[in-house]
Amino acid sequence: MFKRFVSLEWKQFSRSSYFQKGIAIKILLGLAALWMIASALVLGVAAFFGIQKVMPDKDPITVVNNFVIYWFLADVAFRYFLQQLPVLNIKPYMVIPIKRSTVIHFLLGKTTISFFNFLPLFFFLPFSVLLIINDFAALQVIAWFFSMIFFTLSINYLNFLLNKNNKAFYLILTLLIAAILLEYYGVYSITEPAGYFFNTIYNKPYAVIIPLLLMIILYRFNFKFIRKDFYLDGAISKETKEVHTQELTWLNRFGKVAPFLKNDVRMIIRNKRPKQVLFMSVIFLFYGLIFYTQETYQDMPAFLAFASMFITGGFLMSFGQLVPSWDSEYYKLLMSQNIPYREYLKSKWLLMAVAVVISFILSTPYIYFGWDIYGMIAAGALFNMGLNSFITLYGGVLNRVPMELNVKAKAFSNTQGFNPTQLLIALPKIFGPMLIFYLPYKFINFEAGIIALAISGILGLVFTNFFLNKIEKVYQKNKYKTIAAFSEKK
Amino acid sequence: MISVSNLSKSYNGVSVLNIENLDIPAGECFGLVGNNGAGKTTFFSLLLDLIQPSSGYIKNKNIIVSESEEWKPFTSSFIDESFLIGYLTAEEYFYFIGDLRGQTKADVDEFLKQYADFFNDEILQKKKYLRNLSKGNQKKAGIIAALIGKPEMVILDEPFANLDPTTQIRLKKIIKDLDENTETTVLISSHDLIHVTEVCKRIVVLDKGEKVKDIQTSQATLEELEAYFNK
Repeated sequence: MFKRFVSLEWKQFSRSSYFQKGIAIKILLGLAALWMIASALVLGVAAFFGIQKVMPDKDPITVVNNFVIYWFLADVAFRYFLQQLPVLNIKPYMVIPIKRSTVIHFLLGKTTISFFNFLPLFFFLPFSVLLIINDFAALQVIAWFFSMIFFTLSINYLNFLLNKNNKAFYLILTLLIAAILLEYYGVYSITEPAGYFFNTIYNKPYAVIIPLLLMIILYRFNFKFIRKDFYLDGAISKETKEVHTQELTWLNRFGKVAPFLKNDVRMIIRNKRPKQVLFMSVIFLFYGLIFYTQETYQDMPAFLAFASMFITGGFLMSFGQLVPSWDSEYYKLLMSQNIPYREYLKSKWLLMAVAVVISFILSTPYIYFGWDIYGMIAAGALFNMGLNSFITLYGGVLNRVPMELNVKAKAFSNTQGFNPTQLLIALPKIFGPMLIFYLPYKFINFEAGIIALAISGILGLVFTNFFLNKIEKVYQKNKYKTIAAFSEKK
Repeated sequence: MISVSNLSKSYNGVSVLNIENLDIPAGECFGLVGNNGAGKTTFFSLLLDLIQPSSGYIKNKNIIVSESEEWKPFTSSFIDESFLIGYLTAEEYFYFIGDLRGQTKADVDEFLKQYADFFNDEILQKKKYLRNLSKGNQKKAGIIAALIGKPEMVILDEPFANLDPTTQIRLKKIIKDLDENTETTVLISSHDLIHVTEVCKRIVVLDKGEKVKDIQTSQATLEELEAYFNK
């Protein structure tokens, strides 16, 4: 049975239009994956020798154990946002004679074959091999290695639960923030007990049973969770509650683009995926706290410029990169109705620009870090409105993944929308502001950098019409391809 | 109104539609019938410029649809559920379409009044998003939305499918009324020969993308069609 599932999955994967995109992009994605593998590999080797060199009096394994908690926490965060949960379209399997447990085991088993589960191997494996070569107790190292793998898989299954259950996610997030704050203010440090815990696992090889059990428990938990909802009116049913018509007449002042703005506002507040994006953009607001508080970055203003752009650009980037996917469900309507493409694009741009302004207002408390920083944020906001917005809209054309706006349980349908292609498009957005700031900063001074960044944005705003026309042309050119990709059955 | 010239569409060398010429005069109620794969939806998609023709062109009121968008203001359509915006309530959807067609909220409200019967209290003020309506009710909303703003050209793909019997009868009345009392050109496709002969003045039969029959509807049309399809 499993074999048949596997073949079905393969067909679904290889026959989707998403997969059949340009060869250049595929190669780049492959390179990106290789790069990540290589960095992990280097990290594994470097960790061993580096620690030996810097702290010759300490065991590399002890040092790694002390910090491995951060690796796992980062892993949780990364997976939550990046890992696409492999999903099985469950409805057709409900009535044919396959045991439910088989379907669920397959569904869960499939999540094991993920890049995110292989990546840690490239770190832990060379590191462990080096340990053994250097006369650390082989049994202990091997047991430790497996413990790490089991922890990784536990995170894999934990992510599955987190992704389907917003409450669990918020709970973990709260705990995490609390832990970081406690650590930061020196009230309580989680690194110490965590380090102690991982060292104990290393010292007592039989303790490998702990992560193993953890993994099994999480697996069972997942299994039960899905099993319980394996009904038409369970996990895959639609939720209906009473709703009210919203006029949103206050948006009428925007004239021609008002109807689109109204729809976008409704879309964002009435669907699950856009709500997630909204939530994410709030998180982006805190991005500066990481950079502005670190001594290390004070001498690297290019990074600060990058961070400043991020603070106000959260919504712009996470929403904008999925234009026009947001409207994929009714794209044919938009294409056959009396809609000038320009107004459509302009409304999206306006929405993004307004979001930048709101984020900028919300970022006022950053004045605490000084006017230099705040000036940087202001310049970043201008860059976002004037340039980043257009780059993002332009990038949207490359993204032809149909999106299900209101997905209740992600386990039963794709976690769409976020894919590596978008990371690729993100490159000019990230390095653009760094360069625009850095060059004048290097050759003139700090203020010149800020002014250059601000001017780049203002220029973008001046040439709004020009950019919109260009983008409109690209969208027009890709119209038929986009329609075809969006009407593909999910 | 519509003028088709050497229109063909093929995918990887397989022809799915090939119409040498077809003229639909303004104000006509035009029916398209044919088995699955006959090319009905392909034809409508070409007419709405949702796909590109492999050769030839369609003119909608002398505008080549794949070259200019000027046909959009006077053309409206309901092809399938992807013409609905799932997260809107029916009212919001109607107002949105109204906005696009230059109708104020009051215009739309006034317009909707005449369809109270058709809606049968299942569409308006239901406090539900369109995505949560049944297939039939979604269709009702979509069809009426396509009539907002007095379009000169209305395209409906299988409007009778999924509707309950009462609604089918009411829909026939609406289409006949459009035909008799307005200048609107109506294009519909259907698998139901009885309905289509009842409402359409002219029926074209497609088979494997080719036009095989072009009939002015009369008493004998239904029999003729039944004989044709009973092969």
